[in-house]
Amino acid sequence: MSGTTLANKLHRVAPQAEILTGASDLSAFALDGIQPQAAALPGTVEDVAAIVKFAAEQHLAVLPCGGGTELGLGQPPLRYDLALCTARLNALLEHEAADLTCSAQAGITLADLQQRLTAKGQFLALDPPNAQRATIGGILAANSSGPGRLRYGAARDLVIGLKVVLGDGTIARSGGKVVKNVAGYDLNKLYVGSLGTLGVIVEANFKLLPLPEREETLLIGFDNAEAAMQYVVALLSGVVTPNALELLDHATQQQLAQSLQSALPGAPYLLAVSFSGGGKAVERQMSDTRATASRAGGAPGARLEAEAQQAFWEGVRAQQTAPLTCKVSLLIQDVAPFLKSAQVICEEQHLEASALAHAGSGLVYLHMRPTDAAERLAEAIGLLRAWAVNHKGTLVIARAPTDLKKRVSVWGDTRAEQRLMQLLKHQFDPQGALAAGRFLGGI
Amino acid sequence: MIMALHPDEKSALVKDLEAIVGPRAVLSSPYDLMLYEYDASIDRSRPDVVVFPASTAEVSAIVKVANRRGVPFVARGAGTGLSGGAVPLQGGIVIAFQRMNRILSIDYANLRAVVQPGVVNLHLSNAMTPNGFYYVPDPSSQKSCTIGGNVGENSGGPHTLIYGVTTNHVLGLEVVLPDGEVIEVGGPTLDTPGYDLTGLLVGSEGTLGIVTSITVRIVHQPETVKTLVGIFNTVDDASNTVSGIVESGIIPAALEMMDQIILQAVEAYIHAGYPLDAAAVLLIEVEGLRDTVDEQVNQIVAVCNANHAREVRIAKDEQERQLLWRGRKEAFGAVGRISHEFYVQDGVVPRTKLPVVLDRVNAICDHYGLRVGNVFHAGDGNLHPLILFDSQVPGEVEKVRQAGMEILQACAEAGGSITGEHGVGMEKSEAMPLIFSEDDLAVMLRVRETFNPQNLCNPGKIFPTPGRCADIKLVIGQERSPAYTQAEAEGAWH
Repeated sequence: MSGTTLANKLHRVAPQAEILTGASDLSAFALDGIQPQAAALPGTVEDVAAIVKFAAEQHLAVLPCGGGTELGLGQPPLRYDLALCTARLNALLEHEAADLTCSAQAGITLADLQQRLTAKGQFLALDPPNAQRATIGGILAANSSGPGRLRYGAARDLVIGLKVVLGDGTIARSGGKVVKNVAGYDLNKLYVGSLGTLGVIVEANFKLLPLPEREETLLIGFDNAEAAMQYVVALLSGVVTPNALELLDHATQQQLAQSLQSALPGAPYLLAVSFSGGGKAVERQMSDTRATASRAGGAPGARLEAEAQQAFWEGVRAQQTAPLTCKVSLLIQDVAPFLKSAQVICEEQHLEASALAHAGSGLVYLHMRPTDAAERLAEAIGLLRAWAVNHKGTLVIARAPTDLKKRVSVWGDTRAEQRLMQLLKHQFDPQGALAAGRFLGGI
Repeated sequence: MIMALHPDEKSALVKDLEAIVGPRAVLSSPYDLMLYEYDASIDRSRPDVVVFPASTAEVSAIVKVANRRGVPFVARGAGTGLSGGAVPLQGGIVIAFQRMNRILSIDYANLRAVVQPGVVNLHLSNAMTPNGFYYVPDPSSQKSCTIGGNVGENSGGPHTLIYGVTTNHVLGLEVVLPDGEVIEVGGPTLDTPGYDLTGLLVGSEGTLGIVTSITVRIVHQPETVKTLVGIFNTVDDASNTVSGIVESGIIPAALEMMDQIILQAVEAYIHAGYPLDAAAVLLIEVEGLRDTVDEQVNQIVAVCNANHAREVRIAKDEQERQLLWRGRKEAFGAVGRISHEFYVQDGVVPRTKLPVVLDRVNAICDHYGLRVGNVFHAGDGNLHPLILFDSQVPGEVEKVRQAGMEILQACAEAGGSITGEHGVGMEKSEAMPLIFSEDDLAVMLRVRETFNPQNLCNPGKIFPTPGRCADIKLVIGQERSPAYTQAEAEGAWH
């Protein structure tokens, strides 16, 4: 089917959808070297359903997308005919401030949503990178998160209801609009992180929090990762409740300093600790942390507030992604040993590395360069993944050049549960219309 | 619904099971089985046999025997469930987890614990008390309910307002699938690649598999905890206080309401010091750093006073605090002193709809001539109306069920859910169409079909009887309209 024929047919099934077929428009939707024949921007949920149903019947491969910020995650698509972009579905449907809940269409950007929630003194406690472009649908599908997940949890903990278009065009709801709900299977959990392989998220309901009165960040320098992580464990075994415990190695600090255009303390490792809440709570936690950090061999430095603090964390979030990024999930106590091993492995393979960790959550974002050293990168990633798996962890390639993704599995090995995942995929998307081949085990 | 096994089939089944776990871990006499025909809900159904496995391998072998013989099976923890989740609706095998009750590991540095499903909820927290840690979800039955059962039902509790329910604290599971295969999902680290089957299994009410090991998140205890009791002359004032507290930007650790009937029952039993003549009390807890807790207590007292609280008491010591909580957590049991039987609903409404829906609950119960007490998680809008009744009175059980269904309809109409933490189970399955479309339910059935294609694993739960899906809304509407019109109901509210 030519692009124009496809566009005509799409217009018939979804009259209100905007259909793009021009080469220059479509280049924005290219992924792993494949450019789709058309891109559809539906204006209604019904349009989404009609397009997906049509695509399934025609055996066309659809790639759902939002702002495209996390499209680097996933195997290269097996087939890719049609981009289905939710950008026009960008309404905030409800914000019941007194109930601390909201309902929004999937294509609203996180920044836009936060701005509107702020007007009523509330926020959605999700802080992934690229809030200006990332849509909530994309954030949920990619299970994208940020430093704040330490205190507030990740997408799975904050979504209370979803409306999804399945691979056969069925529109289905799961969960609801209340903060506590166990009616029926918790399909929200299944859709979050499924990378669009089960359905296209079109609406989401969230629980919200009141904006804190105050927020402050303390930067603490450490001579080595072991000391920093020992301190992290100590903090988590105490009464303080940090929002984030972010560990930056020296290379990451340098990049961050460059983007902030201001100097950072320059210790081998930097731990950024942020607290929010009432004024007294923040004050007390900041001073306790300053004192305990010194005793733990740290060098407490700058205290960040207001714009400086905001810029710092925005910069930190931006450091989560690079042209080649591995997201490594570990037990907290394995973070320091992993960083040490990663250094050795990368040196052996003549690779430059930089790392950032949501230290209190055991998540390391490891960036490697040069990105065209496919063979050495593949070798290093294999060794790093083996290390993680041997320590009950996992390694996922969050972003990499296409040829590397064809060489090394993005997701790693499957387990016995894969059979069920495959069956679920078939139940939700019988024609395999959605995000073909992008997920774990080739789903 | 029960198709009791033929005696020959049953003795062959017992033999098979005894070969797996030994004769002492299998019960099959009618006298022994009677204890396993019910949980804490009002449904009953007798199993053919009860078996007590001691290991994952034994659970798997039992499930394989059940499959070979085409016999249904149901997992059971302590039997404290409130929706019939552990009731063997179609008979068959009850797999009871009393023997798999070990805490396998506690890893303080990494904030994880691994437990067998038969571990009693409170025992896990108690084991960690000396080190200053605990496991957050605290269902009121936590002295006896098991963590395996909590996983099955995605249980909540009073202290889940800020910290979330069971699903927010479970990171990995070992599961015996309905065909006997053993798999692991999730794990001790976050964001395991693939679909979040852990999240799907938590709260699946034992219909997708049987959990044999659970990895949970543990957290450090707060520095200090303060408990307040706000006493009100009207339920509306208490409800408005709930919204007022949240609007002021405070999310307490717990925010519970008890009305007069409940207070009287609790006082007769526990003597916790609750007033007998108040229309409602709020039991409020704030925790965290000493400095901020005091500040929040002051703010909460101000909100209570602004909403005409008659009195606000602050528990003076840990002993008084424990007593107040004992009153709350044992309220269901206390109601047993004023009524032989009660039926508890578990609907959820947006917090701001509490006053309207509470009025409607009372109007519905008045209409049927039934007494109702309310004790519930007001902070998250999770109602627990306890309808008092006597099943010896002809027709009373039917009235209770009908009133229960109308309460759920009221919750659904207010934009809520039919169950917040007890599970759908048997008795609420027919209410599912109040909040889900046929398509929504069909998608959930696709999931059950994937995991449990023979439907031997806890059959008869969650989903409405086929064919009755579309009728249910109609039935409720018709039943009510002749005797109890909307106008009458509204008249009763204002």
